[in-house]
Amino acid sequence: MTDTLLKMCDITKSFPGVLALDAVDLEVERGEIHGLVGENGAGKSTIIKVLAGVYKADGGSVDIDGETLADVTPRSVHDAGVRFIHQELHLVQHFTVTESVFMGQEEQTLLGLSARAMRAKAEAFFETALGTQLSGKTLIRDLGIAERKLVQIARALIDAKAKLVVFDEPTAPLTSGETDKLFAAIRKLKEQGIAMIYVSHYLAEITDICDRVTVLRNGQNAGRFDDVFDNSAPAMISAMVGREIDELFPTTEHSAAAPRLEIQSLCADAFNDVSLTVHRHEIVGIAGLVGSGREDLIDTIYGLKAPSSGTLKIDGIAQRFRAPSEAVAAGIALVPRDRRHDGLVLDMSVSDNVNLAALDSVSRWTLENRRASHAVATEMSETLDIRPRNIAATARLLSGGNQQKVVLGRWLNKGADIFILDEPTVGVDVGAKVEIYQHIENLAKDGVSVLVSSSDPGELIGLCDRILVMLRGKIVAEVSTTDLGVDTLVALTTGGAVQEVAV
Amino acid sequence: MTLRSVFARFGLIIIIVMFFSFFSYVSPVFLTFDNQVNIIEASAIVLILALGMTLVVAMGGIDLSIGIAFDFGAAFAVVALKDFGAAWYVACLIGVMGGALVGLLNAILIVGLKISPFMATLGTFFVGSSVERVFTNGGGPISYRRMPQEYRDLAVGDVFGIPTEVIIAAAVCLVYFVVLERSIFGKRIHAIGLQKDAANVAGIPVRRYMFVAFILASATCAIGGLIGSANIRMFTPLAGFSYLLDAIAAVFIGAAIHPKGRPNVIGTLVGVLFLGMIGNGLNLMGLDFNLKAALSGIILVSALALAVAQQRFR
Ligand SMILES: Nc1ncnc2c1ncn2[C@@H]1O[C@H](COP(=O)(O)OP(=O)(O)OP(=O)(O)O)[C@@H](O)[C@H]1O
Ligand SMILES: [Mg+2]
Repeated sequence: MTDTLLKMCDITKSFPGVLALDAVDLEVERGEIHGLVGENGAGKSTIIKVLAGVYKADGGSVDIDGETLADVTPRSVHDAGVRFIHQELHLVQHFTVTESVFMGQEEQTLLGLSARAMRAKAEAFFETALGTQLSGKTLIRDLGIAERKLVQIARALIDAKAKLVVFDEPTAPLTSGETDKLFAAIRKLKEQGIAMIYVSHYLAEITDICDRVTVLRNGQNAGRFDDVFDNSAPAMISAMVGREIDELFPTTEHSAAAPRLEIQSLCADAFNDVSLTVHRHEIVGIAGLVGSGREDLIDTIYGLKAPSSGTLKIDGIAQRFRAPSEAVAAGIALVPRDRRHDGLVLDMSVSDNVNLAALDSVSRWTLENRRASHAVATEMSETLDIRPRNIAATARLLSGGNQQKVVLGRWLNKGADIFILDEPTVGVDVGAKVEIYQHIENLAKDGVSVLVSSSDPGELIGLCDRILVMLRGKIVAEVSTTDLGVDTLVALTTGGAVQEVAV
Repeated sequence: MTLRSVFARFGLIIIIVMFFSFFSYVSPVFLTFDNQVNIIEASAIVLILALGMTLVVAMGGIDLSIGIAFDFGAAFAVVALKDFGAAWYVACLIGVMGGALVGLLNAILIVGLKISPFMATLGTFFVGSSVERVFTNGGGPISYRRMPQEYRDLAVGDVFGIPTEVIIAAAVCLVYFVVLERSIFGKRIHAIGLQKDAANVAGIPVRRYMFVAFILASATCAIGGLIGSANIRMFTPLAGFSYLLDAIAAVFIGAAIHPKGRPNVIGTLVGVLFLGMIGNGLNLMGLDFNLKAALSGIILVSALALAVAQQRFR
């Protein structure tokens, strides 16, 4: 017999102009890990937010433990034992681990806060519940992202009343090693009989840890997998996108051509003596852990940060950018890693965001020609399949993956000789990934030089012609992607096997 | 629609209509054509300064030194007329350049030295005030009774019966509307105001735009100074200060009635006329001077608070 813990029935939710959820059912059994997958904008985050009481559903019911919640509010859901691990980490940098875990739920004794008891309890929790060791005295700012995620989990579960924990894309900012750490903790929770809902675009993760999977498409149920095997991914993909995807990465060989971007001995705070060359028609990847200097390198090339020494040449001409506007003028485009902060002007429309870098081309006598700018935006949202197909929509209200497409669309529209893509597909669904890879490939075919920085080894190997590996601020290896295995690349980025592989 | 969302969207508009009906009811004169023209005429200078402020606030800044730009506009023009016998249009040009100087100082402090707009323009305000006092030996006005009629007409003349200052303000308003709401310059300014980092990554030369915008705003305020000095035929030190709160209030009222809560030209126009109506209405009620001053202060601050609250309710 089945033992249902959560039962969401006929959940319907509409936003002005969008039916985000259309009679969706979601059932989670006690003690299982339940995957929730679907394309960008399918409604995953929305149903999670309905469960959290953030959005009020237009219709439908929520049962927890066989009891129907009369009113779904953050409060009532919390009391029923449901916890949420949000994608953003809301932790205070200079708090200790113990303080962070107990923030807002401090344990009081007659003598006030019992610091020692709380610390012991926190450490014990990490040890027994999450299977890891973490000192309660460590400061948050000294922790890696995976450990912070664990702190976030501990914070949600320390009161030991949790029955169901919801993870919304928890691994997006994690490297593969860190992901393993998180998974170990998740399995440990499962042993304790806690059920979980797990939202992710990484199907390998889904097939790895989930017992059952619910698939959403366009705000509707598109199937449920009651048995998940390692080879279930293709079937899930076709349920998600409504078609088969056989090739994730386009396969084209690029003939070597003249160098375009040349960097010599570039130094800054976070990296040292970096030299690299990107040719026309070439896609070069940069691999490395968070903190390897990868992010700063990208920022420095684009003029967001100043190098302390070294040279940067484009087509043989030395350049020194004091601001991104100068880099753009020299033919560089950046799709930044933090799309909500650096990529989009969230309160502007999709149309304005798409046109922002190339306003000159949709203006007459410096006045905006709205017909032209709208035509550009409409075309881009067709090409990139941005949903909803409403260019007047405010960028803030788009789902994560669709926001990424808007940023990409801006630069495809503007055009550039050198494309720098920083984590181009974080939070992007498989179908859209394939399209984005195809666009990158087309750029290279047209002679554009592409530099991709990513923490997804599979993506780098599939997409790039060669990969530079960064470790502690230095380029430690350069590898060709032909016959390169994910394991080898991961080993290189973690410094496990530093070997120079000749290209 | 909930009560809350109605308030968030229309709160201030409802209050504006209420005041309008109230004044029409208590004063028989309020609704007359002549009185309405009075309101508009009295709002001309405030509108010009508030427009300069709109530009700065839309870009995510604030300018506390608009009064100094107003004074510098008046001072440079009056001195040019009086001591150098400049033609009226040359004097106007010099006045505007004098105002731009104030903006230049702001721009250097904010863009060059990376001081926050609030602190920088406050500094400019103090420095400017001292300069005015020193220049006038302690704050005495510089009067010039025999100024050219053309210059004088900036304030007292009319074209086909419409007061010149109203025409000037309307022209400035039109230019601002086109620049801020219809041009790509304005689009970029709004992008900077909404999300500076994203605008920067999108390749907008943020620093250059900020530099230009602060200078433009001050130059605009100097136009107000020209009209002010033409009206009373003298330059009075520190006269511009009195417009500061009105200008800020008008901009925030304007933002509150915008569907997306953005500072905008039409909204500022509505805000200025609202404040003008309040001043005029209280006058007509024949209240004691001090009571009137206190009341208009209270209404102004409440409108400002409401505008801010309304933003939060969205
Ligand atoms: N507050 C809102 N106002 C208007 N539309 C919204 C709002 N929130 C979400 N939507 C729309 O509802 C749909 C579902 O969005 P949701 O965020 O649930 O997608 P998702 O499955 O989480 O996608 P992603 O994988 O990209 O995060 C989208 O079309 C989105 O634009
Ligand atoms: Mg989502």
